[in-house]
Amino acid sequence: MASTNGKVPGGPVLSVEDLAVAYKIRGGEIEAVQNVTFDIQRGEAHGIVGESGCGKSTVTWAILNFLGANGYVKRGGIKFLGQELVGRSSEELRRLRGDQIAMVYQDPMQALNPSMRLGDQMKEVLTVHRGLSDKEAEKRCISMLERVYMPDAANVMHRFPHQISGGQQQRVVIAMALLNNPALLIMDEPTTALDVTVEAAVLDLIAELRRDFDTGILFISHNLGVVARVCNKVGVMYAGEMVEVASTEDIYKNPQHPYTQGLIRCVPKLGSDKASSILYPIRGRVPPPNNRPPGCVYGPRCDYFRDRCREERPELRTLANNVQVRCHFAEEIDPTQWQPSDDLLPPKIRQNGGEEEYIIQVKDLKKYYEVQGSSLKDVFGMSEPRYVKAVENASFNVPKGKTLGIVGESGCGKSTLIKTIIGLEDSTSGKAEFLGLDITGDLTTRTEQLIQELQMVFQNPDSTMNPSYTVGQQIARPMLRFATVPKNQVRSEVIKLLNLMRLGANYFDRLPRQLSGGEKQRVGIARALASRPDLVLCDEPVSALDVSVQAAVLNLLLEVQAEYGTTMIFIAHDLSVVRFFSDYVAVMYLGQIMEIGPADAIYALPYHPYTEALLSAVPIPDPSAKQKRIRLEGTVPSAIRPPSGCRFNTRCPRRHLLPDGGKICETETPPWQEDERGHRIFCHIPRETLLTFEPVIQTKERAV
Amino acid sequence: MLVKDVMTRHPIMVPPEMSAAEAQHIMTENLIRHLPVVGDGKKLVGLVTRQRFAIKPDMMVSLSVWEITRYLSNLTVQKIMLKAKTGEVHTIEATKTVEQAARVMTEQKIGCLPVLDEDGVVIGILSEIDLLRSLQEMLGLPTKGVRVTMRMPNKKGQFAALTTALSQHDLGIMGIGSFPTPRQPDYYDMVLKIPEVTVEQIREILSQVPEQEIVDIREE
Ligand SMILES: Nc1ncnc2c1ncn2[C@@H]1O[C@H](COP(=O)(O)OP(=O)(O)OP(=O)(O)O)[C@@H](O)[C@H]1O
Ligand code: SF4
Ligand code: SF4
Ligand SMILES: [Mg+2]
Repeated sequence: MASTNGKVPGGPVLSVEDLAVAYKIRGGEIEAVQNVTFDIQRGEAHGIVGESGCGKSTVTWAILNFLGANGYVKRGGIKFLGQELVGRSSEELRRLRGDQIAMVYQDPMQALNPSMRLGDQMKEVLTVHRGLSDKEAEKRCISMLERVYMPDAANVMHRFPHQISGGQQQRVVIAMALLNNPALLIMDEPTTALDVTVEAAVLDLIAELRRDFDTGILFISHNLGVVARVCNKVGVMYAGEMVEVASTEDIYKNPQHPYTQGLIRCVPKLGSDKASSILYPIRGRVPPPNNRPPGCVYGPRCDYFRDRCREERPELRTLANNVQVRCHFAEEIDPTQWQPSDDLLPPKIRQNGGEEEYIIQVKDLKKYYEVQGSSLKDVFGMSEPRYVKAVENASFNVPKGKTLGIVGESGCGKSTLIKTIIGLEDSTSGKAEFLGLDITGDLTTRTEQLIQELQMVFQNPDSTMNPSYTVGQQIARPMLRFATVPKNQVRSEVIKLLNLMRLGANYFDRLPRQLSGGEKQRVGIARALASRPDLVLCDEPVSALDVSVQAAVLNLLLEVQAEYGTTMIFIAHDLSVVRFFSDYVAVMYLGQIMEIGPADAIYALPYHPYTEALLSAVPIPDPSAKQKRIRLEGTVPSAIRPPSGCRFNTRCPRRHLLPDGGKICETETPPWQEDERGHRIFCHIPRETLLTFEPVIQTKERAV
Repeated sequence: MLVKDVMTRHPIMVPPEMSAAEAQHIMTENLIRHLPVVGDGKKLVGLVTRQRFAIKPDMMVSLSVWEITRYLSNLTVQKIMLKAKTGEVHTIEATKTVEQAARVMTEQKIGCLPVLDEDGVVIGILSEIDLLRSLQEMLGLPTKGVRVTMRMPNKKGQFAALTTALSQHDLGIMGIGSFPTPRQPDYYDMVLKIPEVTVEQIREILSQVPEQEIVDIREE
């Protein structure tokens, strides 16, 4: 049984007290972490959230003594199972910690040896320290893999890490960590690199393990929804400090610190849209450690700032409801009375003009990639060519000034689809017209005008930015190339765009390396908009950004759309963001659009069985939300030989509703079932039956 | 209830090389009276209890203050612990029942048992406190309800009669325990915890059970 009270004999698994961590840098040092205090009891999962650079990872590195050559614990203590870790030699630490602290990183390959079979890596844990025989170790490893729901566990033991998917790699890492029955498991963004469906399965697993093994878990994430799902306690970090520590319930229902309140206002609630709700980014950004303001570190971004906040640094104190908070005025602040300050104007939303002019029309668009086999026959070109069927028969239209969102797991063909449209890839067959012009033809014949009208924003702005050009030059280039602006007005036009992006004229001469991730992404958007395109294709434009920056960038895109009537195609893996931002949504699986229609229709009954599974996996930042639990078995099949009939049939949790366990799904291509609003579902199950499902998510405000 | 359900997992443990002073400090600071000593792979090598820190009286007499200080500062856990190798440490497996564990503890007059898995790896510790907590849970203390003690003759069908009476009124049992009635051979006392009901209701229902007697009833 987990003890809940710090006074019980034996104490917490981990106790961090008044921790300060500093990194030595040229000309001095910076305190990346200050005054951080928290405990983790047995069987407790303690989350830490906060924007990038707030010091979350630094805390974990301090616990593990991995601070690197220039980092050190400057003050405070870290007790693991009652024993101080700070100030020990590495040999002492090794003995103290034994193998009782395990670590899971965002990238599972950090923990796996790429050139060793998974089974051998796992067995080593048991044969070396525990002295188990190879056979016994093998048996235990297989049962642990089964414990983490690894399909075909015995077989996985013989594979190399690259031969399994990312989600499976992460499960192997977790299984390996558990072989030692650790007292403390530290996880730093363990599901951030995973698809939402895989993430959901891994999070279920973590919650289960904490219960069954009584392991204390330190869980770091920037995603409030993920934390709500696995943690019972949450610490919010800001600029190196813990600003609020409370139970998960309290954090989400009754956040006390203005920063926590701000974070929650930044993220769209699942089911809310741009017409009915507004995202409020937090102004400004996290100050770098060597430039923190005096008094309250959150002061410059806080809506409740007063003189006392500048003069006196708030302490972390415990309120009457047992919540710990670092704010002078926590008792007085009532988030329900919050009003956006004047500099936080809500974005203008494009009003429904009733125009039904389609700017882009796609019909049966197909994109196959030829793949090279490695057999002798292949090498001599004698075998049948094989294809990756990346996009199959995609059909849709997007009206002018509207946004089409595309969702689906990684590898489902989202990016290929829009790359084919923009002309980065040529299409295999089908029709695509942009403003009435055929865009499927030979790329070299594309006119400058066509290129100008189509612009793209990528997930990773670095890859498309020339590091030696200043921000101003990057944005001016398309203006000059397409001559959309008279030469002598280019500078003022660039500054106008910079202002629109909330960057300001002083960014004109900066180089890309002097920008934060969010700033780079805004420059990327400004550059895409510089040629005043009619269509902007955005591939995961906000997924690498902190929530407050994400909110700002989304608002900005909305404003641009309202101002210029730009049409957008928007890819994102976050279903709440897509719902918020899009007018229409397409759900893709293995190259096939499974469901498409008005956004509100996609997120409500009837759902395609795949959409239903996706929605049930979305992490929701509301611990009281009721969410149906549908988990897909197995993994996405190969796109070279996709399943016949319906491509989803190998994993569909609903096909048993059809006669013979859904035999028809394996043999026949499903029909498109369409309603009067243009909502189309690609499934054999009749619409009437799909309508009888229960909603996936029920919160106090709404059902989805 | 098995040992693995009630033990404290991930106990504080120390390596044999640690200085005795540090081990003592850890025990005081964490309010614990027993400290398993483990070697590589968390295998049990010994156990330190509070008594092990006491200096034997004959040593007190034969050594000077300085010598005692030096003796103490050189003392390691290894030297003061009860040794597993020589059978000085009683242990229990995680899959044994709580009763078996309690029996070992009472017979040996010891306050705690390191819990081992099948490889001799320490996976938990079972103390008197853990056992007392399991007692509370067996008797259903954590939930509110009526606690009633019934006295019944030691013969077949008595327990069935009792549960039938309750189930006829749609009542469930949260916790249960029984023991031979003190100084009254051939009788058993049975303690039941019944939630969502009043004392009066239970008195009414159970007084109807033939041959049985309510010896104690209270809300808890
Ligand atoms: N080795 C280092 N030397 C100097 N400064 C460092 C070093 N590592 C981290 N920092 C700085 O310490 C601060 C905290 O960084 P940390 O990586 O802990 O943040 P984080 O909250 O984990 O961010 P993210 O969410 O991006 O992972 C940042 O300002 C970072 O730039
Ligand atoms: S102390 Fe002042 S500036 Fe800091 S969070 Fe509280 S109100 Fe805002
Ligand atoms: S067609 Fe069959 S397999 Fe495909 S989604 Fe519908 S029920 Fe599932
Ligand atoms: Mg980090």
